[in-house]
Amino acid sequence: MAGFLGRAGYFTRETWLNVRRNLTLTVAAILTVAVGVMLVGLGLMARYASSNALGRWQGGVQFEIFMEPDIAGGQIDALGEELRIHPDIERIQYVTQDQAFALLEEMLVDEPELLAEISVESLPSSYRVVPRIAEGEIIESLAAQFRQRPGVYSVETGRQQVDAIREWFNSFRWIVLLMSIVLAAASALLIFNMIRVAMFARRREIEVMKLVGATNSFIRLPFILEGMLHGLAGGLVGAVAAGALRNHVEELFGRSEILAFFRSFTVTSGQFTTATIATVLMGVIVGALGSAFAAGRFLDV
Amino acid sequence: MIRLDNVTKIYKGETRAVDGVTLNIEKGEFVFLVGESGSGKSTMLRLLTAEEAATGGQVHVAGKDLARISSWRVPYLRRNIGSVFQDFKLLPQKTVYENVAFALEVIGRPRNIITTQVPAILELVGLSNKQKSFPDELSGGEQQRVSIARAFVNRPLILLADEPTGNLDPNTAQEIMRLLDRINRTGTTVVMATHDQTIVDQMRRRVVALHAGQVVRDEQQGVYA
Repeated sequence: MAGFLGRAGYFTRETWLNVRRNLTLTVAAILTVAVGVMLVGLGLMARYASSNALGRWQGGVQFEIFMEPDIAGGQIDALGEELRIHPDIERIQYVTQDQAFALLEEMLVDEPELLAEISVESLPSSYRVVPRIAEGEIIESLAAQFRQRPGVYSVETGRQQVDAIREWFNSFRWIVLLMSIVLAAASALLIFNMIRVAMFARRREIEVMKLVGATNSFIRLPFILEGMLHGLAGGLVGAVAAGALRNHVEELFGRSEILAFFRSFTVTSGQFTTATIATVLMGVIVGALGSAFAAGRFLDV
Repeated sequence: MIRLDNVTKIYKGETRAVDGVTLNIEKGEFVFLVGESGSGKSTMLRLLTAEEAATGGQVHVAGKDLARISSWRVPYLRRNIGSVFQDFKLLPQKTVYENVAFALEVIGRPRNIITTQVPAILELVGLSNKQKSFPDELSGGEQQRVSIARAFVNRPLILLADEPTGNLDPNTAQEIMRLLDRINRTGTTVVMATHDQTIVDQMRRRVVALHAGQVVRDEQQGVYA
C-alpha cells in the first residue's frame, strides 16, 4: 500500500511538472480538444433531439387529433370508433390525459416550475393516427375531415415540416461529425507533439530510468496521464460549452413563436447526461491516443 | 555470471564491432576490458545490458539468455546490473540525494526502503555531507561517486563501468578505483572498460584486451599492455 501511494505520488508530481513546463502548448491542446468534443456533444444532442421530435410523428406518417380537455367520454369513443373503421386509416392509438402528462413530465424534467403550472385535467387527450398511405396530401385531407368535429381541439400533421427538419438535422449532423473528426485528429496530433516535446525535454531522465531498470510502462505512464489530463480538461470545457449552447437554443425555441415548431426538438435530461459523458470521454480518449502513440513511438528499449 | 559464446555484433551490415568473442566471467570477479577506441569495449558493455542485441552467438547475463528474453523483461534484467559512465549521467536539477533516490523510486521501491538505503549508500561513497548539493556544485570525482552510489544502491549483482575515470585527474581516479574495489569485495562482479594504463597496472586484476572486436589477450592479474 505504501508502495502504491509512493508511486501515485510520483505520477502526480511528474504529470503536474510536465503540464507546468509547457503551459501555452497545454492551453492550445485543451482548447482544440474542447472545440472538437463540443461539436461531438452538439452532434449527439442534435441526433437525440431530431429523433425525439420525429418519434412523435412516427417517422412523419402519423398525425395527432387533440381533443378538448372537457370533451365527454362518449364523444371520445364515438370518434375512436369512426377512426377505427375508416378505410384510409391503418391503426390508431389513444393517448389519455395521464399519458400526455407523463410525456410532458419527461420533456420538462429540467423545468419543474413550468410543470407545476400544468394539471393533468388541462391537457388534451388525443388519438395518434397512422394512415394506410403515408403521403402528405392524403394525410392533409384526412386531417381536414376531423378538424371540424365537435370536441376536437386541433389536428397536427406537420409531415412536411418534419421531413424538412429531419433533412436539415441530418446534414447538420454530418457536418458536425466531419468537423469533430477533423478537430479530434488535430487535437490528437497536438497532444502527440506536446508529449514528444515533453519527452525530449526529459530525455536525460528517461535515459537514467531505462538504465536503472524502470519498466517502459512506468516511464510512459506520466506522459500518458498528462495527455489524458489535457483530454479530460478539454472534454470538460467542451461539455460545459455544449450544455450552455443547448440551454441557449432551447430558451430561444421556447421564447420565439416563429421557432415554436422546434419545441419538440428537445433532449431529455437523461440524453443530455449521456451526451455530456460521451463528450468528456471522447476528450479523454483523444488525449490518451495522442499521448500513448507518442510515448510508444519515442521510447525504445 | 556473464557468459559470451562466439558473440558477434555487426552494425549496419558492415562494421564488426564485436567479432566472435567467447568469454566467461565468474561471480565476484573484477575484470578490466582494455583496448584502443573502437576496439569494441563499449559495444560489449551494451550487449550485456541488452541495449544492443548480438548479431550472432549467445549472451548470458545473470543466468538469462539475452536472445530469448522478452523486451518487457529487460528492465528487470537491468535491475541486476549497475551502470557507471565517463560522463556520470546525473540529473542536474536533482540533488545528490534525489539523484540516488530516483533510481529506487522508478523501480517502485517503497519509501521506507528509499529513506534508509540512500543515506547508507551515500555514507559508503563518502558523500553524507553533500546530500543536498546539486551535481554542478560537486567536483568530477564527487559526481562520479554519486553516479556509483546510484548504480549500487539497488545492490546489483553486476556493476558495469565504461571509462569511469576518463574525465578525472589521477588522484581522483585512484579514489574511484578504491570505491569500485570495495564494491567488488561485497561480492559484486565488476566489469570496467578503460584506457587508464596506470590503474590497470596497479590493480593487477583480470585483463581482457580487445582489438578490432576480438579478444587478443585474457590474463589473470594482468597489466595494460
